[in-house]
Amino acid sequence: MRNEWLRSDRLPHIYCAGCGNGTIMNCVLEAITQTGWDRTRTVFLSGIGCSSRAPGYIMTDSLHTTHGRAIAFATGVKMADPSLHVVVFTGDGDLAAIGGNHFIHGCRRNIDITVVCMNNHIYGMTGGQGSPTTPLGKTSTTTPYGAEEAPFDLVELAIAAGANYVARWTSYHVKQLTDAVYDGLLTPGFSLIEVRCQCPTSYGRRNKYREPTDYMTYLKTNAILKRKWEEMERSGENISPDSFPVGEFVRRSRPVMGVPDEA
Amino acid sequence: MKLEIDESRCKGCNLCTLVCPYKIYRPGSRPNRKGIYVPEMDRPERCPNCRLQELYGRRLCGMCALICPDQAIKWVPEKPYEPMKVVIEY
Amino acid sequence: MQGNIACAEGALAAGCNFFGGYPITPSTEVAEHMASRMPKITGSCFIQMEDEIASMAAIIGAAWTGARSMTATSGPGFSLMMENIGYAVMTETPCVLVNIQRGGPSTGQPTMGAQGDMMQVRFGSHGDYSIIALCPSSVQECFDLTAKAFNLADRFRTPVFLMADEVIGHMREKLEIPDSVEIIRPKTLPEGTLPFTAGPDGVPGFAPFGIGRFTHVTGLTHDERGYPDTTNPACHESLVKRLVNKIENARHEIADYTIVNENARYVFVCYGAPVRTVKEVVDRMKIPDTGYLQLKTVWPFPEELLLRFPNVQAFIVPEMNLGMISREVERHVSVRVIPVGRIGGELHPPEELIQAVKIAGGDV
Repeated sequence: MRNEWLRSDRLPHIYCAGCGNGTIMNCVLEAITQTGWDRTRTVFLSGIGCSSRAPGYIMTDSLHTTHGRAIAFATGVKMADPSLHVVVFTGDGDLAAIGGNHFIHGCRRNIDITVVCMNNHIYGMTGGQGSPTTPLGKTSTTTPYGAEEAPFDLVELAIAAGANYVARWTSYHVKQLTDAVYDGLLTPGFSLIEVRCQCPTSYGRRNKYREPTDYMTYLKTNAILKRKWEEMERSGENISPDSFPVGEFVRRSRPVMGVPDEA
Repeated sequence: MKLEIDESRCKGCNLCTLVCPYKIYRPGSRPNRKGIYVPEMDRPERCPNCRLQELYGRRLCGMCALICPDQAIKWVPEKPYEPMKVVIEY
Repeated sequence: MQGNIACAEGALAAGCNFFGGYPITPSTEVAEHMASRMPKITGSCFIQMEDEIASMAAIIGAAWTGARSMTATSGPGFSLMMENIGYAVMTETPCVLVNIQRGGPSTGQPTMGAQGDMMQVRFGSHGDYSIIALCPSSVQECFDLTAKAFNLADRFRTPVFLMADEVIGHMREKLEIPDSVEIIRPKTLPEGTLPFTAGPDGVPGFAPFGIGRFTHVTGLTHDERGYPDTTNPACHESLVKRLVNKIENARHEIADYTIVNENARYVFVCYGAPVRTVKEVVDRMKIPDTGYLQLKTVWPFPEELLLRFPNVQAFIVPEMNLGMISREVERHVSVRVIPVGRIGGELHPPEELIQAVKIAGGDV
């Protein structure tokens, strides 16, 4: 059961009311219980940020590392002991900004880890600064007149860099997300699951999604299934700039690293 | 099975009110000791997991517990329903 | 054999089974040698990372699975590693870093020797901490001290630095490889003990990943359970003081040195490549009234050794920098301290040191 994987003595966690990170943690733990992995042989890693506090609430060995470096640490853990299951929690700033290089090299090596990126489009822990995934025009404390830099598409980035499994869901699509994480965990090689989620405190407050439920409604209406998205693109249908495709984008078997020998 | 909201963990975000297909949760009306408006439950016996989990042998629906960011929603086992013994008085 | 290769062989003899590295002159031979040797040893892993930040990260990650891990770098890479070195100190991760020092600042002189990182190694990462740094002065010492570094790292659960320099790293000398080297692994964490509860020596037992102890490791200020407690001044104070004291209180145990001619009036305090010139001056040229203290352990600084010279009138500190350890010597003694700094990449010629002895004797 999911509850066995929680450090109950540390709950409630530090996340704000309505934060999507807790939901994503639930889904990852649910997926992990479905795999039947041994808790003593599973390691969670994270960098710095709101997302990265998650391993501290999970009853396994866990490494809360420096900003952006979680994937590099995970490479060390996995290569030194490939029999361990390695899962990395990270955020958009952690993964795409300071950890961008480690991210693409993790994908290139196709090291057998699962990375769950809690993408809330903002640096939440430091109070809501713009991140490399802040959509154009959205306000944050460092983009008070609207973001002017084009954001990263983490999914495309991971695919181009060579990850074996890439999916995107949102914190609203809990069932699909759980299934995607499950698939990611079981796919040998690098798996990235990008999860768009709400940050009511720092992002929502400045972008007209004041209540957690407001952003949920946004996610619900603007997340378009990949197949439908492609159809819309083909037929030249007008796609709202707020919309984004969700689903499984890649599942392949490029050469991998860090998979235990079949012996 | 019975639904339970752990008041020590709930932060009152009301996401459960949004996702429950049976609209079992509704925003709370009174703050608790910590000043949090914990959602209230409206006829929770309608929850399919409460009624049918044992029959099917697996978790049904479970949206509320999955989406709850604070791990506050859970099912607690209840004693199996015993038909009340009727004592007829003469 | 070359100093760099001797480092790598010393590490392998000590059971090093994880190497994360990134090429940088003049340390690249360490990584190259590891890359050729490690894949042939079962259970060993060599990986070339994307940068030095990642190398340091990877060896910390590997160390937490119980591996003996190491990396090798030089000045610019060492600067990049600083953040994660602080992390290794805070999380008490045993690991070994080889720094083949070159001329700095910045890219400086990639192919020339220097000892300009001696203060960086001690104070380079932010916050208060202590580390262990060893300095070889010959190819044999490269081998011996690298092997020893692993034992110190495990014994004290701290990153240990082998601060060699380009001169030693690229020097070719005879090396005697012993049949076996002593291997000391970390204390295990006793059953029922919290993961960061330390014994009287300030060093907690080690519970690596995968054995079911559910260790939470964080760079945040943490309590004995390993859980973050960042706003409690007492918690931070006791943690950081323990991290510093576990090393500083053991400086006698850690100290590794050679003393020659205790009754000398003019005493060289030296480490690394300049030791060779000092030996030339004292041992071979036998300049009267000179002796030396060779520090193989530079940090924690074994200041009590300076009191072992009863007749000393001046300490002469030849270094391949503009005076780093000479300041540390000055802090602890009342007699005259003469720094002989030399930068540019070449060793001190004996005449320069003889001149310093003359200055010390008032002949100049």
